[in-house]
Amino acid sequence: MSDTSWTRLLDPRGAFADPFVGWFVAGVVGLLGAAYGVTFALSLSGKISAARQREILLRLHSWAVLIPIMLLPLLLGAFWMILGMLLLSVFCYREFARLTGQFRNFRVSLWTVASIGLVYFAVLDKWNGLFAASQVLGVVFIAAGGLYVDQPKGYLQRVSLGVFAFLFFGVSFGHVAYLCNDLEFRPILLLFFLAVEMNDVFGYLFGNLFGNRKLCPNTSPGKTWAGSLGAIAATSLLVLGLGPFVFSGMLASPFHLLVLGLTVSVSGQLGDLVMSSVKRDIGVKDTGTAIPGHGGLLDRFDSLLLAGPAFYHYVNFFHGIGTEEPDRLFTLVTGG
Amino acid sequence: MADDWRYEPAADLKVPWQKRPSSELREAGLTGGLGHWLCCQLIGAYLRARHPLTVIGREHLPTETPFVLVANHASHLDVLVLQSLFPEHLSGRIFALAAGDYFFDSSTKSLAAAQLVNALPVWRGKGTRHALAHLRERLVRGSSGFIVFPEGTRSRDGQMQPFKPGIGMLVAGTEIPVVPCTLSGTFAAWPPDTRWPGPGPIQVTLREARRFADRKNQREEWVRIAGELEALVAGA
Repeated sequence: MSDTSWTRLLDPRGAFADPFVGWFVAGVVGLLGAAYGVTFALSLSGKISAARQREILLRLHSWAVLIPIMLLPLLLGAFWMILGMLLLSVFCYREFARLTGQFRNFRVSLWTVASIGLVYFAVLDKWNGLFAASQVLGVVFIAAGGLYVDQPKGYLQRVSLGVFAFLFFGVSFGHVAYLCNDLEFRPILLLFFLAVEMNDVFGYLFGNLFGNRKLCPNTSPGKTWAGSLGAIAATSLLVLGLGPFVFSGMLASPFHLLVLGLTVSVSGQLGDLVMSSVKRDIGVKDTGTAIPGHGGLLDRFDSLLLAGPAFYHYVNFFHGIGTEEPDRLFTLVTGG
Repeated sequence: MADDWRYEPAADLKVPWQKRPSSELREAGLTGGLGHWLCCQLIGAYLRARHPLTVIGREHLPTETPFVLVANHASHLDVLVLQSLFPEHLSGRIFALAAGDYFFDSSTKSLAAAQLVNALPVWRGKGTRHALAHLRERLVRGSSGFIVFPEGTRSRDGQMQPFKPGIGMLVAGTEIPVVPCTLSGTFAAWPPDTRWPGPGPIQVTLREARRFADRKNQREEWVRIAGELEALVAGA
C-alpha cells in the first residue's frame, strides 16, 4: 500500500491542508457559540420563556456533543471516519430492529449485520468491485438466512425488514463512507454533511416563516410546501456558493453545483419522509432516546438515507471518487 | 388473505438504558442475544458431558411462542436444563423468571443471570403484582416464552413445595398454553447447599399443555390454577 493511502487513512497531520476544513471547523464552532449567545440574550431580555429556553438548550447541548463526535474522526483520518460510519450503521440498525421487532429473528439479524460488515470491508479496502457486489450479496445472505428454521410463516416480513435495513443502514451509509476513499475526503464530506444538515434547518426556518400548505400531513404533519421549496432553493445556493472551494474541474461549474445541491436537498427530504413513514407505520413518535432533544439516531440521520447514494453517484460520475489511488489497498497481493 | 405484518417493538423500548438490565421488560438485542446464544452452547456441552439427559414427552415441548413452562425447582441446574431443550430459533425469546432480590442485586449478577439463562427479574414484595401484570401483557403480545418455578424458591430438601398463586395471575383468562414439567436428578447433582455441581443423570418429563382461557382473572382462580398445575407437575 502506498504512503498516500496510509496518510489518508491514519495521518491527522494533513487535516487542515485544505483551507476549507479550517474555515469550516472555525465556522461551526463560531455558529454554535453564537447560538448559545443568542439563546441567553433572548432569555435575559425575556423574549422566550424558560421552558422554551430549556428545550433549545437541550438541543444545543446535543449538538455540542454531536459536532465533535462527527468532526473528530474526520480530522483524524479516513480510517476513523469509516469506523465511525460503521458504528452509525450498526447502531441505526439496532434502533430499527428494536422498533420493528426484527431483532427477535436472530439469524436474519446476524446476517444483516454481517452483510453490513462486508460492505464496510469493501469500503476500507477501497475495493470498488466488492463494494458493488456486497450490495447484492447482502440481499442473498439475508434471503438465505431467513430460511433457517424451515418456517415459511413470517418469511416475507423477516427477510423484507432485513433487506430494507441492510440497504438503508448498510449500503446507503456505506456510500457516505466510501467518500472517504478520495484524497479530498475531508472537504467533500464536510460539504455533504453541511448541506444535508442545513437542508433540515432551512426546511424548518422557511416552514416556520412562510409555511401554510401542508406537504403530506399524514406522513409528517410538520412539513410544508414553503419549507420544502425554500430548503431546495437555499441548499442549492449553499452548494453553489461553497462548491468551488471543494471541487475542481467539471463539477465546479455553477450548473453542476446547483444540480448537486438540488439532488442533496430533494433526496435529503425524501429520506426524512421515508423514516417518518416507517415510524407512522409502526406507530411510534421517536425512534429512540439516544440523543436528548432530538430522539433516536434515526431521527437525526434519516436525511442521509437517500442523500448518501445520490450525492456519491453524482460526484463519482462527474468528478470521480478516489481516482488518484489504486483499488484494493489490503487484499491485492502483488508479486513486486 | 395473508396476515398483516406484525410489528412488536422491544418491550423495553421506553425503559432508559441504565435501568434495562434489571427491568422485567428487558429483551436481549443482538449483542445480548449473541452472548446468550454462546452461553447456551457452552452450557449444552457441559450438560451433555456430565448429565445424561432423558426427556419423556418431548412432543409436548413448545416450538413457538407464547407459552409458559412450569416446573419444580430444586437446583440451579433446573433452568440450565430447561433452556437447553429448546430449538435454536427461540434462543433469546425464552425467559426464566427469577427473584429480583437474589439474582439482580448487583450488576455483575444481573449480567450473568441475563446472559446465562436469559433471566427476567421479578421483585418480591410491593411491586410483584405490577411486574406480573407487565409479564402477562408481554406473554399476550406473543413473542416471549417463560420458564416459571411456581414454588418461588429452590427446595432445600428435594421435596416439592406448594405452588404460589402468581402463576395463575400470568395465565388466567388467556389462551397461553402452560406446559407442566417434572425435573428429577437435579437436586442430587447440585443441591442448594453445595457450591459446585456434581455429575449425575437428569430426567425431564413434559406433559400436555393446559390452557386457562375460561378462568376469571381473580384470586380464587389463581390459587386453583396453581393447585392444578402443582398436581400435574407432581405427576398425579
